[in-house]
Amino acid sequence: MTSLRWIGVIAWKDLRAEFRSGGRIAAMISFSVLACFLFSFSLGSLVAGRDVAAGLLWLTVLLASISGAGRTFDAEEEDGAFRHLLLSPVSRHAIFLGKAAANLVPVTLVAAFTLFALTLFFRIAAPGSVALHAAILLPGAIGLAAAGTLFGLISRHSSLGDSLLPALTFPALVPLVFFGATASSRVFLDRPWAEISGPARLLWGIAIGVVAVGALLFRYLTDD
Amino acid sequence: MTLAARNLVCSYGPTRAVDGVDLEVADDSILAVFGPNGAGKTTLLKALSGERTPDEGVVVADGKAIRGSDPEWRCRVGLVSHRTGLYMKLTVMENLLFFGVLHGLAKAALAAEEALAAVGAPELARHRAEVLSHGQRQRVALARTLLHDPDILFLDEPFSGLDPNGAEALEAVLRERRSPGRIVVLVTHDLRRGLRLADRVVVLRRGRKVLDDDRAECEAEALVGLFTDSGSPA
Repeated sequence: MTSLRWIGVIAWKDLRAEFRSGGRIAAMISFSVLACFLFSFSLGSLVAGRDVAAGLLWLTVLLASISGAGRTFDAEEEDGAFRHLLLSPVSRHAIFLGKAAANLVPVTLVAAFTLFALTLFFRIAAPGSVALHAAILLPGAIGLAAAGTLFGLISRHSSLGDSLLPALTFPALVPLVFFGATASSRVFLDRPWAEISGPARLLWGIAIGVVAVGALLFRYLTDD
Repeated sequence: MTLAARNLVCSYGPTRAVDGVDLEVADDSILAVFGPNGAGKTTLLKALSGERTPDEGVVVADGKAIRGSDPEWRCRVGLVSHRTGLYMKLTVMENLLFFGVLHGLAKAALAAEEALAAVGAPELARHRAEVLSHGQRQRVALARTLLHDPDILFLDEPFSGLDPNGAEALEAVLRERRSPGRIVVLVTHDLRRGLRLADRVVVLRRGRKVLDDDRAECEAEALVGLFTDSGSPA
């Protein structure tokens, strides 16, 4: 119960600060909508929207998430607050999960805006069930938020800074994007649940795995 | 309450930032740690507070070796540094409530109000940290540290950037903290203030302890001599 409270209060703190500064979420959403607009210009006349929407959806969400992940620890580093957070009695796992939970909100918003923008710009009349899209995008967003939190910390403490983020994130998230795009494409094409459930289950498994590995590595990275 | 370090060694790569330091801090006392830049003062403080695990040696509190990862230990320590550690987009009260909840305080709001009153800054509660001066932020940082009433207070260059009034106020709070069951460890460049507050003085140079004495035996001019290689180790 204490851990849940810690996770909640850390996420609350991050989101409150985030919405007051506003810059990161607005930048991520703007990037994703603009990317969809440009995709529709470059591909719209060549392919049917439903055929490519899933790939573009996951690619856009991945890129937007990474662009925001680098700023996950901005507030912590601004005046040395992270040192005090680490010195508090809160477990490292709770700190990681709280910050990942806060990251989940912008990633989910980006996923929702991207889905809407793709449907609009590619004029997809029947994009499939919104509930099924949500069931696929949610584990993807969880995995991206957790990976972004972890890699945000690593890039912060590397001399390479944010330029290190894509190099770390892309290879680690290939399975997540692959199964996510596979499942989403079947939703866009209105395939039955039996065809979607396989990659969807794998997606949930990968998301849980990313969170678990992230929590373990976060503890290792922040000790000392 | 006692705190002791036995043969502490902390290294960064091949460099020994703290090299075989022994020290003891008695109950109800303030220890001031002086030294030139790069002497290992902050690293020593991190080892004593449990923020950093020493490569060799041990830190002992009340006769038991400490583990920095132990939540009970973290509840017993508080830290004030020259960086305030506040979240700039949150108000002062939100900052205090956040850390109060993390420390498991049942009445975090009440504790926050009392802590702000203790540092003479109750009027700052509704202001965002980003609009405060450094001196005001430092007062709030001290209030945050006092929230959970730590047994051991670690201060890392706390006077840095404070105006004379702010420094006086901080000194007054530190004097109040000198009481049975409590210890203050102060790392500072400010010899005059440090000597005024301390009961015991340690001087580090290149990671080694070159002086460990009662404050009464120390004079600022003599300490400055110890900062350079020409000074003779104790």
